[in-house]
Amino acid sequence: MATRTQAHEQVPAPAAEPRDLTWVWVLGALVAVALAARVAHPNQVAWLRNLLIVFGSLLIEAMPFVAVGALASALIEVFVPASTFAKMASLPRAVQLPAAAMAGLAFPVCECGSVPVARRLARKGLSPAAAVTFMLAAPIVNPVVIASTFVAYRGRDSLWVMVGGRFVIGMLVAICVGWVIGARRPGELLRGAAVGDEPDDHDEPRASRFFSHLTGDLVFMARFLIVGALIAATIQTFVPSSIVDRVAGLPVLSLLAMMTLAFLLSLCSESDAFVAASFTSFGPSAQLAFLVFGPMVDLKLGALYMGTYSKGFLRTVVVVVTAVTLVATLWIQVVWG
Amino acid sequence: MSLVARRVRWSSGRLATATALGAWAALFWTLLLTGRTYLYLSSRTAWLVPVGAVIFSAGALGRLLTARSAGDEPLDRRSAWMLGAITLPVVLVLALPPATLGTYSVSKRSTFGGSAIGATARDVTGPLDFVDVGAAQSFPSAMRQLEGRAGESITLDGFVTKEASEPNEILLTRYIVTCCVADATVAQVRIVGLEPSQYADDEWVSVTGLVYPFQRDVFVQAEPDSVTQIPVPDQPYLTP
Repeated sequence: MATRTQAHEQVPAPAAEPRDLTWVWVLGALVAVALAARVAHPNQVAWLRNLLIVFGSLLIEAMPFVAVGALASALIEVFVPASTFAKMASLPRAVQLPAAAMAGLAFPVCECGSVPVARRLARKGLSPAAAVTFMLAAPIVNPVVIASTFVAYRGRDSLWVMVGGRFVIGMLVAICVGWVIGARRPGELLRGAAVGDEPDDHDEPRASRFFSHLTGDLVFMARFLIVGALIAATIQTFVPSSIVDRVAGLPVLSLLAMMTLAFLLSLCSESDAFVAASFTSFGPSAQLAFLVFGPMVDLKLGALYMGTYSKGFLRTVVVVVTAVTLVATLWIQVVWG
Repeated sequence: MSLVARRVRWSSGRLATATALGAWAALFWTLLLTGRTYLYLSSRTAWLVPVGAVIFSAGALGRLLTARSAGDEPLDRRSAWMLGAITLPVVLVLALPPATLGTYSVSKRSTFGGSAIGATARDVTGPLDFVDVGAAQSFPSAMRQLEGRAGESITLDGFVTKEASEPNEILLTRYIVTCCVADATVAQVRIVGLEPSQYADDEWVSVTGLVYPFQRDVFVQAEPDSVTQIPVPDQPYLTP
Protein backbone atom coordinates (compact mmCIF):
# COMPACT_ATOMS: atom_id res chain seq x y z
CA MET A 1 0.00 0.00 0.00
CA ALA A 2 1.38 3.40 -0.95
CA THR A 3 -0.05 5.34 1.97
CA ARG A 4 1.35 5.16 5.49
CA THR A 5 -0.71 3.11 7.88
CA GLN A 6 -0.58 2.41 11.58
CA ALA A 7 -0.28 -1.24 12.57
CA HIS A 8 -2.87 -3.18 10.66
CA GLU A 9 -5.82 -1.71 12.44
CA GLN A 10 -9.03 -1.89 10.48
CA VAL A 11 -11.77 0.63 11.06
CA PRO A 12 -15.01 1.31 9.24
CA ALA A 13 -14.66 3.84 6.45
CA PRO A 14 -16.34 7.09 7.51
CA ALA A 15 -19.12 8.46 5.42
CA ALA A 16 -18.04 11.49 3.41
CA GLU A 17 -18.99 14.71 5.20
CA PRO A 18 -19.16 18.20 3.72
CA ARG A 19 -15.97 20.11 4.53
CA ASP A 20 -16.46 22.72 7.28
CA LEU A 21 -15.15 26.04 6.00
CA THR A 22 -15.66 28.02 9.21
CA TRP A 23 -11.93 28.67 9.33
CA VAL A 24 -12.26 30.77 6.18
CA TRP A 25 -14.79 33.01 7.92
CA VAL A 26 -12.54 33.24 10.99
CA LEU A 27 -9.57 34.20 8.86
CA GLY A 28 -11.68 36.76 7.02
CA ALA A 29 -12.87 38.26 10.31
CA LEU A 30 -9.28 38.60 11.56
CA VAL A 31 -8.19 40.29 8.34
CA ALA A 32 -11.18 42.64 8.58
CA VAL A 33 -10.23 43.56 12.15
CA ALA A 34 -6.64 44.23 11.08
CA LEU A 35 -7.79 46.46 8.22
CA ALA A 36 -10.24 48.31 10.46
CA ALA A 37 -7.48 48.88 13.02
CA ARG A 38 -5.26 50.41 10.32
CA VAL A 39 -7.93 52.49 8.62
CA ALA A 40 -10.22 53.66 11.44
CA HIS A 41 -7.43 54.75 13.84
CA PRO A 42 -9.18 53.64 17.05
CA ASN A 43 -6.18 55.00 18.99
CA GLN A 44 -7.51 58.49 18.39
CA VAL A 45 -10.40 57.75 20.72
CA ALA A 46 -8.85 58.29 24.14
CA TRP A 47 -10.81 55.71 26.13
CA LEU A 48 -10.43 53.08 23.43
CA ARG A 49 -6.69 53.68 23.25
CA ASN A 50 -6.48 53.32 27.02
CA LEU A 51 -8.52 50.11 26.95
CA LEU A 52 -6.49 48.53 24.15
CA ILE A 53 -3.15 49.38 25.72
CA VAL A 54 -4.11 48.02 29.15
CA PHE A 55 -5.72 44.93 27.59
CA GLY A 56 -2.61 44.26 25.51
CA SER A 57 -0.24 44.81 28.40
CA LEU A 58 -2.14 42.44 30.71
CA LEU A 59 -2.00 39.71 28.08
CA ILE A 60 1.61 40.30 27.07
CA GLU A 61 2.59 40.01 30.70
CA ALA A 62 0.38 37.07 31.64
CA MET A 63 0.66 34.85 28.56
CA PRO A 64 4.32 33.87 29.12
CA PHE A 65 3.42 32.85 32.67
CA VAL A 66 0.53 30.75 31.37
CA ALA A 67 2.96 29.23 28.87
CA VAL A 68 5.41 28.33 31.65
CA GLY A 69 2.52 26.81 33.61
CA ALA A 70 1.36 24.83 30.56
CA LEU A 71 4.91 23.63 30.01
CA ALA A 72 5.16 22.40 33.61
CA SER A 73 1.72 20.85 33.30
CA ALA A 74 2.66 18.95 30.13
CA LEU A 75 5.89 17.71 31.71
CA ILE A 76 3.94 16.43 34.72
CA GLU A 77 1.41 14.70 32.49
CA VAL A 78 3.92 12.96 30.25
CA PHE A 79 6.88 12.28 32.53
CA VAL A 80 5.55 11.93 36.10
CA PRO A 81 3.74 8.65 36.79
CA ALA A 82 0.29 8.91 38.28
CA SER A 83 1.35 6.60 41.11
CA THR A 84 3.50 9.41 42.53
CA PHE A 85 0.43 11.54 43.14
CA ALA A 86 -1.64 8.60 44.33
CA LYS A 87 0.90 8.08 47.12
CA MET A 88 0.68 11.74 48.10
CA ALA A 89 -3.10 11.62 48.00
CA SER A 90 -3.09 8.82 50.56
CA LEU A 91 -1.43 11.05 53.18
CA PRO A 92 -3.61 12.62 55.89
CA ARG A 93 -5.03 15.96 54.86
CA ALA A 94 -3.35 17.71 57.79
CA VAL A 95 -0.03 16.77 56.21
CA GLN A 96 -1.01 17.12 52.56
CA LEU A 97 -2.27 20.68 52.63
CA PRO A 98 0.69 22.38 54.36
CA ALA A 99 3.04 20.32 52.16
CA ALA A 100 1.17 21.44 49.03
CA ALA A 101 1.36 25.07 50.16
CA MET A 102 5.08 24.77 50.85
CA ALA A 103 5.59 23.22 47.40
CA GLY A 104 4.82 26.67 46.06
CA LEU A 105 8.28 27.71 47.22
CA ALA A 106 9.70 25.71 44.33
CA PHE A 107 7.42 27.14 41.63
CA PRO A 108 8.36 30.72 40.84
CA VAL A 109 5.53 31.82 38.56
CA CYS A 110 2.56 34.06 39.13
CA GLU A 111 -1.07 33.09 39.57
CA CYS A 112 -1.81 32.58 35.85
CA GLY A 113 0.84 29.85 35.66
CA SER A 114 -0.28 27.97 38.75
CA VAL A 115 -3.82 27.31 37.48
CA PRO A 116 -2.91 24.87 34.67
CA VAL A 117 -0.45 23.09 36.96
CA ALA A 118 -3.08 22.62 39.70
CA ARG A 119 -5.58 21.38 37.14
CA ARG A 120 -3.06 18.84 35.90
CA LEU A 121 -2.11 17.73 39.42
CA ALA A 122 -5.77 17.07 40.25
CA ARG A 123 -6.24 15.10 37.04
CA LYS A 124 -3.14 13.03 37.74
CA GLY A 125 -4.43 11.89 41.11
CA LEU A 126 -3.35 14.46 43.68
CA SER A 127 -6.26 15.28 45.95
CA PRO A 128 -8.10 18.35 44.58
CA ALA A 129 -7.84 20.02 47.99
CA ALA A 130 -4.04 19.79 47.85
CA ALA A 131 -3.95 20.91 44.21
CA VAL A 132 -6.03 24.00 45.02
CA THR A 133 -3.92 24.75 48.10
CA PHE A 134 -0.83 24.65 45.90
CA MET A 135 -2.50 26.82 43.26
CA LEU A 136 -3.40 29.54 45.74
CA ALA A 137 -0.19 29.47 47.76
CA ALA A 138 2.39 29.27 44.95
CA PRO A 139 1.86 32.81 43.60
CA ILE A 140 2.44 34.24 47.09
CA VAL A 141 5.08 32.09 48.75
CA ASN A 142 7.47 31.59 45.83
CA PRO A 143 10.95 33.12 46.17
CA VAL A 144 10.50 35.69 43.40
CA VAL A 145 7.43 37.14 45.09
CA ILE A 146 9.10 37.15 48.50
CA ALA A 147 12.08 38.99 46.97
CA SER A 148 9.92 41.53 45.15
CA THR A 149 7.96 42.24 48.34
CA PHE A 150 11.24 42.72 50.19
CA VAL A 151 12.53 45.15 47.57
CA ALA A 152 9.28 47.13 47.48
CA TYR A 153 9.25 47.65 51.27
CA ARG A 154 13.00 47.93 51.83
CA GLY A 155 13.79 50.84 54.10
CA ARG A 156 10.39 50.96 55.77
CA ASP A 157 9.51 50.09 59.36
CA SER A 158 6.87 47.68 58.12
CA LEU A 159 9.31 45.63 55.99
CA TRP A 160 9.19 42.39 57.97
CA VAL A 161 5.48 42.69 58.71
CA MET A 162 4.84 42.87 54.99
CA VAL A 163 7.25 40.12 53.90
CA GLY A 164 6.49 37.73 56.78
CA GLY A 165 2.80 38.62 56.96
CA ARG A 166 2.28 38.01 53.26
CA PHE A 167 3.97 34.62 53.45
CA VAL A 168 2.19 33.41 56.58
CA ILE A 169 -1.27 34.76 55.77
CA GLY A 170 -0.95 33.52 52.17
CA MET A 171 -0.16 30.00 53.41
CA LEU A 172 -2.96 30.17 55.97
CA VAL A 173 -5.58 31.28 53.46
CA ALA A 174 -4.54 28.67 50.88
CA ILE A 175 -4.70 25.87 53.47
CA CYS A 176 -8.11 27.05 54.68
CA VAL A 177 -9.52 26.94 51.14
CA GLY A 178 -8.05 23.46 50.69
CA TRP A 179 -9.62 22.38 53.96
CA VAL A 180 -13.05 23.67 52.94
CA ILE A 181 -12.80 21.84 49.61
CA GLY A 182 -12.08 18.74 51.66
CA ALA A 183 -12.56 15.35 50.11
CA ARG A 184 -14.12 16.39 46.81
CA ARG A 185 -13.03 14.25 43.90
CA PRO A 186 -11.54 15.65 40.65
CA GLY A 187 -14.79 14.92 38.80
CA GLU A 188 -16.68 17.04 41.32
CA LEU A 189 -14.23 19.93 41.29
CA LEU A 190 -13.09 20.21 37.69
CA ARG A 191 -15.51 21.33 35.03
CA GLY A 192 -16.86 18.69 32.66
CA ALA A 193 -14.86 20.07 29.78
CA ALA A 194 -11.75 20.30 31.92
CA VAL A 195 -12.05 16.66 32.88
CA GLY A 196 -12.88 15.13 29.55
CA ASP A 197 -11.49 17.55 27.01
CA GLU A 198 -8.42 15.51 26.18
CA PRO A 199 -8.46 12.34 24.07
CA ASP A 200 -7.00 9.11 25.28
CA ASP A 201 -3.65 9.54 23.54
CA HIS A 202 -1.52 6.90 25.22
CA ASP A 203 -0.95 5.16 21.88
CA GLU A 204 0.75 8.24 20.48
CA PRO A 205 4.50 8.91 20.66
CA ARG A 206 5.62 10.74 23.79
CA ALA A 207 6.59 13.90 21.85
CA SER A 208 3.17 14.09 20.28
CA ARG A 209 1.50 13.63 23.67
CA PHE A 210 3.71 16.30 25.19
CA PHE A 211 2.78 18.87 22.56
CA SER A 212 -0.87 17.87 22.69
CA HIS A 213 -0.97 18.66 26.39
CA LEU A 214 1.19 21.79 26.11
CA THR A 215 -0.90 23.33 23.35
CA GLY A 216 -4.15 22.05 24.82
CA ASP A 217 -3.48 23.74 28.16
CA LEU A 218 -2.29 26.92 26.46
CA VAL A 219 -5.39 27.22 24.33
CA PHE A 220 -7.67 26.24 27.21
CA MET A 221 -6.24 28.86 29.58
CA ALA A 222 -5.73 31.58 26.97
CA ARG A 223 -9.41 31.97 26.15
CA PHE A 224 -10.36 32.60 29.77
CA LEU A 225 -7.38 34.84 30.34
CA ILE A 226 -8.41 36.99 27.38
CA VAL A 227 -11.93 37.39 28.77
CA GLY A 228 -10.59 38.29 32.23
CA ALA A 229 -8.04 40.75 30.83
CA LEU A 230 -10.72 42.45 28.75
CA ILE A 231 -12.98 42.91 31.78
CA ALA A 232 -10.08 44.20 33.90
CA ALA A 233 -9.00 46.63 31.17
CA THR A 234 -12.55 47.90 30.75
CA ILE A 235 -12.89 48.57 34.47
CA GLN A 236 -9.49 50.27 34.61
CA THR A 237 -10.56 52.45 31.71
CA PHE A 238 -13.82 53.67 33.16
CA VAL A 239 -13.57 53.41 36.94
CA PRO A 240 -11.21 55.89 38.63
CA SER A 241 -9.10 54.20 41.27
CA SER A 242 -9.44 57.29 43.46
CA ILE A 243 -12.74 55.89 44.73
CA VAL A 244 -10.88 53.86 47.34
CA ASP A 245 -9.02 56.87 48.78
CA ARG A 246 -12.00 58.00 50.83
CA VAL A 247 -11.91 54.96 53.10
CA ALA A 248 -8.15 54.89 53.72
CA GLY A 249 -8.51 55.71 57.41
CA LEU A 250 -11.49 53.49 58.23
CA PRO A 251 -10.66 50.24 60.07
CA VAL A 252 -12.49 47.47 58.23
CA LEU A 253 -13.52 49.34 55.12
CA SER A 254 -9.91 50.14 54.25
CA LEU A 255 -9.17 46.40 54.14
CA LEU A 256 -12.21 45.66 52.01
CA ALA A 257 -11.42 48.59 49.71
CA MET A 258 -7.90 47.35 49.07
CA MET A 259 -9.15 43.81 48.45
CA THR A 260 -11.68 45.19 45.97
CA LEU A 261 -8.97 47.19 44.24
CA ALA A 262 -6.73 44.13 44.00
CA PHE A 263 -9.66 42.25 42.45
CA LEU A 264 -10.25 44.97 39.86
CA LEU A 265 -6.64 45.73 38.93
CA SER A 266 -5.73 42.05 38.35
CA LEU A 267 -2.02 42.66 38.82
CA CYS A 268 0.70 40.04 38.66
CA SER A 269 1.82 38.77 42.07
CA GLU A 270 5.45 39.21 41.13
CA SER A 271 5.15 42.98 41.02
CA ASP A 272 2.02 43.92 42.91
CA ALA A 273 4.06 44.77 46.03
CA PHE A 274 5.40 47.86 44.26
CA VAL A 275 1.88 49.05 43.64
CA ALA A 276 0.73 48.20 47.16
CA ALA A 277 3.70 50.08 48.60
CA SER A 278 2.60 53.22 46.79
CA PHE A 279 -0.67 53.35 48.75
CA THR A 280 0.94 55.28 51.56
CA SER A 281 -2.41 56.58 52.79
CA PHE A 282 -3.32 52.99 53.73
CA GLY A 283 -1.70 51.18 56.64
CA PRO A 284 0.31 47.93 56.46
CA SER A 285 -2.77 45.80 57.21
CA ALA A 286 -4.70 47.17 54.22
CA GLN A 287 -1.66 46.78 51.99
CA LEU A 288 -1.32 43.17 53.20
CA ALA A 289 -4.97 42.54 52.36
CA PHE A 290 -4.19 43.77 48.82
CA LEU A 291 -1.13 41.51 48.56
CA VAL A 292 -2.80 38.35 49.84
CA PHE A 293 -6.21 38.71 48.20
CA GLY A 294 -5.08 39.82 44.71
CA PRO A 295 -3.02 36.75 43.74
CA MET A 296 -5.90 34.47 44.77
CA VAL A 297 -8.96 36.30 43.51
CA ASP A 298 -9.05 38.83 40.70
CA LEU A 299 -10.94 39.39 37.47
CA LYS A 300 -8.68 37.43 35.16
CA LEU A 301 -8.38 34.60 37.70
CA GLY A 302 -12.17 34.60 38.08
CA ALA A 303 -12.48 33.85 34.37
CA LEU A 304 -9.82 31.13 34.61
CA TYR A 305 -11.49 29.53 37.65
CA MET A 306 -14.91 29.56 35.98
CA GLY A 307 -13.47 27.83 32.94
CA THR A 308 -11.47 25.28 34.91
CA TYR A 309 -13.53 24.43 37.97
CA SER A 310 -17.10 23.42 38.61
CA LYS A 311 -19.92 25.75 39.48
CA GLY A 312 -19.57 26.96 43.03
CA PHE A 313 -15.78 26.77 43.19
CA LEU A 314 -15.36 30.48 42.54
CA ARG A 315 -17.92 31.24 45.26
CA THR A 316 -16.09 29.00 47.74
CA VAL A 317 -12.74 30.61 46.96
CA VAL A 318 -14.12 34.17 47.17
CA VAL A 319 -15.92 33.56 50.47
CA VAL A 320 -13.09 31.71 52.22
CA VAL A 321 -10.28 33.92 50.90
CA THR A 322 -12.19 37.08 51.82
CA ALA A 323 -13.10 35.86 55.32
CA VAL A 324 -9.67 34.54 56.29
CA THR A 325 -7.78 37.47 54.75
CA LEU A 326 -10.07 39.91 56.52
CA VAL A 327 -9.68 38.27 59.92
CA ALA A 328 -5.92 37.89 59.59
CA THR A 329 -5.32 41.44 58.39
CA LEU A 330 -7.69 42.81 61.04
CA TRP A 331 -5.43 41.19 63.59
CA ILE A 332 -2.44 42.88 61.92
CA GLN A 333 -4.39 46.15 62.00
CA VAL A 334 -4.96 45.83 65.74
CA VAL A 335 -1.29 45.12 66.35
CA TRP A 336 0.35 47.36 63.72
CA GLY A 337 -2.29 49.85 62.66
CA MET B 1 -19.72 -1.27 4.97
CA SER B 2 -16.18 -1.35 3.64
CA LEU B 3 -13.07 -1.60 5.76
CA VAL B 4 -9.99 0.57 5.16
CA ALA B 5 -6.65 0.88 6.94
CA ARG B 6 -6.48 3.81 9.39
CA ARG B 7 -4.29 6.47 7.78
CA VAL B 8 -1.97 8.90 9.45
CA ARG B 9 -2.89 12.27 8.01
CA TRP B 10 -2.68 15.97 8.70
CA SER B 11 -5.03 17.04 11.45
CA SER B 12 -6.72 20.34 10.64
CA GLY B 13 -7.32 20.95 14.35
CA ARG B 14 -3.64 20.59 15.17
CA LEU B 15 -2.60 22.75 12.22
CA ALA B 16 -4.98 25.50 13.31
CA THR B 17 -3.69 25.33 16.90
CA ALA B 18 -0.11 25.57 15.62
CA THR B 19 -1.12 28.63 13.60
CA ALA B 20 -2.69 30.37 16.60
CA LEU B 21 0.36 29.69 18.77
CA GLY B 22 2.58 30.80 15.89
CA ALA B 23 0.71 34.10 15.82
CA TRP B 24 1.46 34.63 19.51
CA ALA B 25 5.09 33.71 18.90
CA ALA B 26 5.19 36.26 16.07
CA LEU B 27 3.80 38.90 18.42
CA PHE B 28 6.48 38.29 21.04
CA TRP B 29 9.28 38.22 18.43
CA THR B 30 7.96 41.46 16.91
CA LEU B 31 7.92 43.16 20.31
CA LEU B 32 11.43 41.94 20.96
CA LEU B 33 12.90 42.95 17.62
CA THR B 34 11.17 46.32 17.24
CA GLY B 35 11.65 47.53 20.81
CA ARG B 36 7.90 47.88 21.32
CA THR B 37 8.15 45.81 24.51
CA TYR B 38 8.33 49.02 26.54
CA LEU B 39 4.95 50.18 25.28
CA TYR B 40 3.46 47.40 27.40
CA LEU B 41 5.96 46.26 30.03
CA SER B 42 8.50 47.85 32.33
CA SER B 43 12.22 47.19 32.13
CA ARG B 44 11.72 45.00 35.20
CA THR B 45 9.47 42.55 33.33
CA ALA B 46 10.79 42.92 29.77
CA TRP B 47 12.41 39.48 30.12
CA LEU B 48 8.94 37.95 29.76
CA VAL B 49 8.90 38.79 26.05
CA PRO B 50 11.80 36.52 25.03
CA VAL B 51 10.42 33.82 27.33
CA GLY B 52 7.04 34.07 25.60
CA ALA B 53 8.70 34.11 22.17
CA VAL B 54 10.65 30.93 22.86
CA ILE B 55 7.85 28.93 24.49
CA PHE B 56 5.18 29.89 21.95
CA SER B 57 7.61 29.22 19.07
CA ALA B 58 8.47 25.82 20.54
CA GLY B 59 4.78 25.07 21.08
CA ALA B 60 3.84 26.07 17.52
CA LEU B 61 6.73 24.22 15.95
CA GLY B 62 6.21 21.13 18.08
CA ARG B 63 2.51 21.07 17.28
CA LEU B 64 3.29 21.47 13.58
CA LEU B 65 5.79 18.61 13.62
CA THR B 66 3.29 16.36 15.40
CA ALA B 67 0.29 17.50 13.39
CA ARG B 68 -0.16 14.17 11.62
CA SER B 69 -2.60 12.03 13.48
CA ALA B 70 -4.10 8.59 13.14
CA GLY B 71 -7.37 9.73 14.67
CA ASP B 72 -9.85 12.04 13.09
CA GLU B 73 -9.30 15.51 14.55
CA PRO B 74 -11.26 17.92 12.40
CA LEU B 75 -11.40 21.62 13.11
CA ASP B 76 -15.02 22.08 14.15
CA ARG B 77 -16.86 25.37 14.00
CA ARG B 78 -16.60 26.13 17.73
CA SER B 79 -12.87 25.41 17.87
CA ALA B 80 -12.25 27.54 14.78
CA TRP B 81 -13.94 30.58 16.33
CA MET B 82 -12.22 29.97 19.66
CA LEU B 83 -8.79 29.90 18.02
CA GLY B 84 -9.77 33.05 16.13
CA ALA B 85 -10.64 34.74 19.43
CA ILE B 86 -7.28 33.72 20.88
CA THR B 87 -5.53 35.21 17.85
CA LEU B 88 -7.55 38.44 17.93
CA PRO B 89 -5.38 40.25 20.55
CA VAL B 90 -2.31 39.48 18.42
CA VAL B 91 -3.96 41.05 15.38
CA LEU B 92 -4.95 44.13 17.38
CA VAL B 93 -1.51 44.70 18.91
CA LEU B 94 0.29 44.22 15.60
CA ALA B 95 -2.15 46.17 13.45
CA LEU B 96 -2.55 49.22 15.65
CA PRO B 97 0.09 51.94 15.45
CA PRO B 98 2.29 52.22 18.56
CA ALA B 99 0.56 54.24 21.28
CA THR B 100 1.05 55.18 24.91
CA LEU B 101 -1.23 56.12 27.77
CA GLY B 102 -2.06 59.81 27.68
CA THR B 103 -4.03 62.50 29.45
CA TYR B 104 -7.26 60.48 29.54
CA SER B 105 -5.75 57.89 31.85
CA VAL B 106 -4.42 60.41 34.37
CA SER B 107 -7.82 60.97 35.93
CA LYS B 108 -8.44 57.22 36.20
CA ARG B 109 -5.22 56.67 38.07
CA SER B 110 -5.43 59.65 40.37
CA THR B 111 -5.38 57.52 43.52
CA PHE B 112 -1.72 57.01 43.06
CA GLY B 113 -1.05 60.34 41.45
CA GLY B 114 -3.01 62.46 43.89
CA SER B 115 -1.27 61.48 47.05
CA ALA B 116 1.10 58.69 46.27
CA ILE B 117 2.70 57.24 43.21
CA GLY B 118 4.25 53.94 42.38
CA ALA B 119 7.76 54.79 43.42
CA THR B 120 9.60 52.86 46.07
CA ALA B 121 11.25 54.58 48.99
CA ARG B 122 14.51 56.05 47.78
CA ASP B 123 17.03 58.73 48.55
CA VAL B 124 16.61 61.89 46.50
CA THR B 125 20.30 62.62 46.44
CA GLY B 126 21.45 62.02 42.84
CA PRO B 127 20.63 63.97 39.67
CA LEU B 128 16.93 64.81 39.91
CA ASP B 129 14.45 62.99 37.70
CA PHE B 130 10.76 62.17 37.50
CA VAL B 131 11.04 59.14 39.77
CA ASP B 132 12.52 61.41 42.46
CA VAL B 133 9.51 63.68 42.05
CA GLY B 134 7.20 60.69 42.46
CA ALA B 135 9.10 59.43 45.48
CA ALA B 136 8.88 62.88 47.07
CA GLN B 137 5.13 62.97 46.51
CA SER B 138 4.83 59.54 48.13
CA PHE B 139 7.22 59.62 51.06
CA PRO B 140 7.77 62.46 53.57
CA SER B 141 11.45 61.59 53.96
CA ALA B 142 12.02 61.91 50.19
CA MET B 143 10.05 65.18 50.15
CA ARG B 144 12.26 66.59 52.91
CA GLN B 145 15.32 65.72 50.83
CA LEU B 146 13.82 67.38 47.76
CA GLU B 147 12.92 70.47 49.80
CA GLY B 148 16.58 70.70 50.74
CA ARG B 149 17.38 70.96 47.06
CA ALA B 150 14.86 73.69 46.23
CA GLY B 151 16.12 76.00 43.52
CA GLU B 152 18.26 73.37 41.81
CA SER B 153 18.02 72.93 38.08
CA ILE B 154 16.03 69.97 36.76
CA THR B 155 15.32 68.70 33.25
CA LEU B 156 12.19 66.60 32.79
CA ASP B 157 10.71 64.88 29.74
CA GLY B 158 6.98 64.27 29.79
CA PHE B 159 3.67 65.00 28.16
CA VAL B 160 1.48 68.01 28.73
CA THR B 161 -1.68 67.75 30.79
CA LYS B 162 -3.78 70.81 31.46
CA GLU B 163 -6.24 71.45 34.25
CA ALA B 164 -9.19 73.75 33.71
CA SER B 165 -8.92 74.92 37.31
CA GLU B 166 -5.33 76.12 36.85
CA PRO B 167 -5.29 78.32 33.73
CA ASN B 168 -1.80 79.72 34.39
CA GLU B 169 0.20 76.52 34.50
CA ILE B 170 0.60 73.22 32.75
CA LEU B 171 1.20 69.83 34.29
CA LEU B 172 4.08 67.77 33.00
CA THR B 173 3.14 64.12 33.40
CA ARG B 174 4.94 60.83 33.24
CA TYR B 175 3.66 57.34 34.03
CA ILE B 176 5.64 55.09 36.29
CA VAL B 177 5.21 51.38 35.55
CA THR B 178 6.50 48.69 37.86
CA CYS B 179 5.35 45.63 35.94
CA CYS B 180 2.98 46.28 33.04
CA VAL B 181 0.96 49.27 31.93
CA ALA B 182 -2.00 48.01 33.94
CA ASP B 183 -0.21 49.14 37.11
CA ALA B 184 0.83 52.54 35.71
CA THR B 185 0.86 55.31 38.27
CA VAL B 186 1.24 59.02 37.73
CA ALA B 187 4.04 61.48 38.53
CA GLN B 188 3.32 65.12 37.82
CA VAL B 189 5.02 68.46 38.24
CA ARG B 190 3.44 71.86 37.84
CA ILE B 191 5.25 74.03 35.30
CA VAL B 192 4.90 77.76 35.86
CA GLY B 193 6.19 80.59 33.71
CA LEU B 194 4.80 79.29 30.42
CA GLU B 195 1.77 80.24 28.36
CA PRO B 196 -0.51 77.15 28.59
CA SER B 197 -2.37 77.97 25.39
CA GLN B 198 0.82 77.31 23.42
CA TYR B 199 0.87 73.66 24.45
CA ALA B 200 -1.58 70.91 23.64
CA ASP B 201 -2.63 67.99 25.80
CA ASP B 202 -0.50 64.88 25.19
CA GLU B 203 2.27 66.89 23.51
CA TRP B 204 5.69 65.55 24.57
CA VAL B 205 8.14 68.22 25.72
CA SER B 206 11.44 68.53 27.53
CA VAL B 207 11.46 71.24 30.18
CA THR B 208 14.43 72.66 32.06
CA GLY B 209 13.79 74.86 35.08
CA LEU B 210 14.25 75.36 38.79
CA VAL B 211 12.51 72.92 41.11
CA TYR B 212 10.47 74.12 44.10
CA PRO B 213 8.62 71.54 46.23
CA PHE B 214 5.66 72.92 48.14
CA GLN B 215 3.58 70.72 50.43
CA ARG B 216 2.77 67.67 48.27
CA ASP B 217 3.23 69.46 44.96
CA VAL B 218 6.40 69.99 43.00
CA PHE B 219 6.69 73.16 40.92
CA VAL B 220 9.19 73.89 38.18
CA GLN B 221 9.85 77.50 37.24
CA ALA B 222 10.63 77.45 33.52
CA GLU B 223 11.38 79.95 30.77
CA PRO B 224 9.60 79.52 27.42
CA ASP B 225 12.91 79.05 25.59
CA SER B 226 13.82 76.17 27.91
CA VAL B 227 11.00 74.05 26.51
CA THR B 228 11.53 71.87 23.46
CA GLN B 229 9.17 69.55 21.67
CA ILE B 230 10.38 65.95 21.66
CA PRO B 231 9.14 62.71 20.09
CA VAL B 232 7.61 60.03 22.28
CA PRO B 233 10.60 58.32 23.94
CA ASP B 234 11.48 54.70 23.20
CA GLN B 235 10.70 53.97 26.85
CA PRO B 236 7.68 56.19 27.53
CA TYR B 237 7.12 54.74 30.99
CA LEU B 238 9.58 55.02 33.84
CA THR B 239 10.47 52.20 36.20
CA PRO B 240 11.27 53.04 39.82
